[in-house]
Amino acid sequence: MFELFKQKAEVVNAEVYSFNNKTDVLNFIKDFIKQNISDEVSKSVVWCYSEFLEGIDLDSLKKELPQIEFDISANSANSAKIGINQVNFGIAETGSIVEISDTLAKRLCSSLTEIHIAILPCNNILPDMESLMKKIDINAIPYMTVISGPSRTADIERVLTIGVHGPERVIILCVENF
Amino acid sequence: MIKEEIQKALTNANLSGALTRFSEAYVISRKKIYEGLDFEALREQIVSSKSYTADHLDELVNQFIKSATDNGAKVFFTQNPDEVRNYIIELAKKNNVKSVVKSKSMATEEIHLNKYLQEAGIEVNETDLGEWIIQLAGQRPSHMVLPAIHLTRHDVSDIFTKKVEPIEPDISRMVKFARKHLRRKFMTADMGITGANIAIAETGTLVVCTNEGNARLTMALPKIHVAVVGVEKLVAKIEDTFPILRTLARSATVQIITSYVSFVNAQTEHTDGSKKELHIILFDNNRSKLAKDPLFKQTFQCIRCASCLNVCPVFRIIGGHVFGRVYTGGIGTILTAWTEGLKASKDIQGLCIQCGNCVKVCPGKINIPDLILELRKKLAKEEGLNFKTKAIYSVVNNRKLFHTILRTASKLQKPFEKQGFIRHLPFFLSELTEQRSLPAIADVAFRDRFKNIKQPKSDRKALFYAGCLIDFAYPEIGEALVKLLNTAGIEVLFPEEQTCCGAPARYSGVMDVAANNSKQNVEALLSLNAEYIVSACPTCTVALKKQFIKDLIDQDYKEDVIKKAQEVSTKAIDASALINKLIKEGKINFKKSNEQTFTYHDPCHLIRSLNIYMEPRESLQSSGLKLIEMFESDTCCGMGGSYSLKFPEISGIILKRKLENIKKTGVKLVCTDCPGCVMQIRGGVDKEGLDIQVKHSLDILVERLQSNNEK
Repeated sequence: MFELFKQKAEVVNAEVYSFNNKTDVLNFIKDFIKQNISDEVSKSVVWCYSEFLEGIDLDSLKKELPQIEFDISANSANSAKIGINQVNFGIAETGSIVEISDTLAKRLCSSLTEIHIAILPCNNILPDMESLMKKIDINAIPYMTVISGPSRTADIERVLTIGVHGPERVIILCVENF
Repeated sequence: MIKEEIQKALTNANLSGALTRFSEAYVISRKKIYEGLDFEALREQIVSSKSYTADHLDELVNQFIKSATDNGAKVFFTQNPDEVRNYIIELAKKNNVKSVVKSKSMATEEIHLNKYLQEAGIEVNETDLGEWIIQLAGQRPSHMVLPAIHLTRHDVSDIFTKKVEPIEPDISRMVKFARKHLRRKFMTADMGITGANIAIAETGTLVVCTNEGNARLTMALPKIHVAVVGVEKLVAKIEDTFPILRTLARSATVQIITSYVSFVNAQTEHTDGSKKELHIILFDNNRSKLAKDPLFKQTFQCIRCASCLNVCPVFRIIGGHVFGRVYTGGIGTILTAWTEGLKASKDIQGLCIQCGNCVKVCPGKINIPDLILELRKKLAKEEGLNFKTKAIYSVVNNRKLFHTILRTASKLQKPFEKQGFIRHLPFFLSELTEQRSLPAIADVAFRDRFKNIKQPKSDRKALFYAGCLIDFAYPEIGEALVKLLNTAGIEVLFPEEQTCCGAPARYSGVMDVAANNSKQNVEALLSLNAEYIVSACPTCTVALKKQFIKDLIDQDYKEDVIKKAQEVSTKAIDASALINKLIKEGKINFKKSNEQTFTYHDPCHLIRSLNIYMEPRESLQSSGLKLIEMFESDTCCGMGGSYSLKFPEISGIILKRKLENIKKTGVKLVCTDCPGCVMQIRGGVDKEGLDIQVKHSLDILVERLQSNNEK
């Protein structure tokens, strides 16, 4: 399932990595931030709190990387370059990630920034939309988005351009042992 | 008026260039993106769920209202465009809304919402890139899915420079520019207005599909979200969304899925922590009447993918500014008639050449050409015919008079005819020969030649239904058919009382004339007994097989006449199918000759209405010819019967494209099975002075027949 998911996600220009455990994911994220954001003064990373961050000392993380902002607002997300959140499911058929937004903060992290990093437990990769709908109770969900790669347009001369109003890059980090 | 608009569009090289490039690439990419899927099965599912919606509209509207209200949304259902606008303006006033961000919504275009909001002093910002460009340019979208396809990057940079700030014509720079500029609007807007692609009745959920990310921001950031949703978007249950989600992006933008598919149940949290508002406006505007119409209700099956526009040989030439108003192209014509009134569709419905290309790609299996023809019929009835047209049709109805006139014309044409072609007609008729030469009317019509054809007697008989073109312009095709059938041991009969199949009247919506011809023909064709009624013109074949019956029922003819038409239908067969059958049975054999290459043009009526396309190719190949397929072999040649007389400028360009495709194959012989296509393509070849033969398959096959000595 992961292999198919990765293949389809890459077709829609997402970047997919798989990791054994949460620590490896955390290290990847830290390195990514250090490489992509040199400025330690402004808050250029917004990170929506989720199950993934349980058991992690947020204060020491903030000390190590002062670029990270855990207090998500429209303004902080708008000013950030990277948005990090944990998504709920993956859909292998289309290479999509499914974001069930119980909070607005989660949505803001994946819709405003240039780069969206999505943390996905490998076990939650489902084959198709049908199986997704069987797993969830859509009635209980205020807002859900199926995201397939970065934002794009071909409105000018049908030339495909990646990165319009939403993210330019979607990086999916799959965790095997969540 | 429309003629002027057409001229304007034809001189805009950007427009037709962009649309043609898109349309040619589209068919190829579409095929690829559907690989591995059963398109027919998906269409059936969509037909099933959307026709359920049409049949249970009131029930689903009520169910949706309840479910969405239970979710915390405010739902407003109205028939009336005015009420939609007023609701939104009142809501905006009540909440001190100064600026609005909008994501793409055809429903809001339908009611010209932006104009009214702006008049009420509210700033409206389209956020879909194409829609924003159009908004700045003060234009209407030219395509339902790609609104700015008619603009080049230079046009776009000019528009941005004039209306916003200077930016060079670099596409990726301009997209970044749009992001930056519109981001400010998103962050400060008080209200977000979207449409929806699907509305699920059982859960009260809206489904919104986008690529740019603008709808997500429109729905997330402002405090108030208003969704304007046409009731045709309703489906009963969640499962009904799956086939739509599998086809919409594939057919609209040749993607497996759009970057974002959002499922919206209720908005709760605003960015400042206060409660958000979701207002869903369910909008009818005559759709419930549409749902009750037994023929037109299939329009509910439309998922708004615009693939009909993308494969339309006419749309690709003139674009949506001519071929439509709010909604454009084939489906646009039908939606215009129902949302703006029949008269609004009067000019644009004539633009449909009835080629049927759209029918095979429509995910909703809507028979668009049939529905447009139905509009034509309604208009013909309502408007009545002008005197000149009445005069023409009354002649065509009177067989003896019609044939006398044609015979006389064959004498009168002498000054204009050369080598079998009429190349230049004088005065007001000159437009008719600008794009292609017309055939000369034959000295001796087929019906007069038939009397002198000596045929071997046989118990097996076939009635030949010649049709006007073969009878009066290409009698040699009829002679070829007789020879081929004789070789196979079939004797041909020719009932003289047969007359025009009525196509010119039928396709103009003039049903009383068409039905009159149908009756005359049905009686003529049953006057003699035969195994087959064979036609070598697919338009006539379709008339024999399907349309005579329809016409007679439509015009309330008696049961016994209709029964006769059914009998004709059962016996009717296209020559291409019959000849292929006889070849396969070993009854027609060909002499050994040098291999010659040919390409095949599929007549619209043959491939789409009769589903015949392998048989002619097989027959020609078994005669020793080598087939080289041309690009878009099954795209219309532009003849369209009387279309080439009504819109010669469009017909001529479609023909030009066909000739280019033929030239690219490098062959010297084009074969086809329709005398109308022969007339069009041969006429075009002659006009361009090309060294290419254009032949009806029967002409070529008879040339390559094994002679009796060789047997």
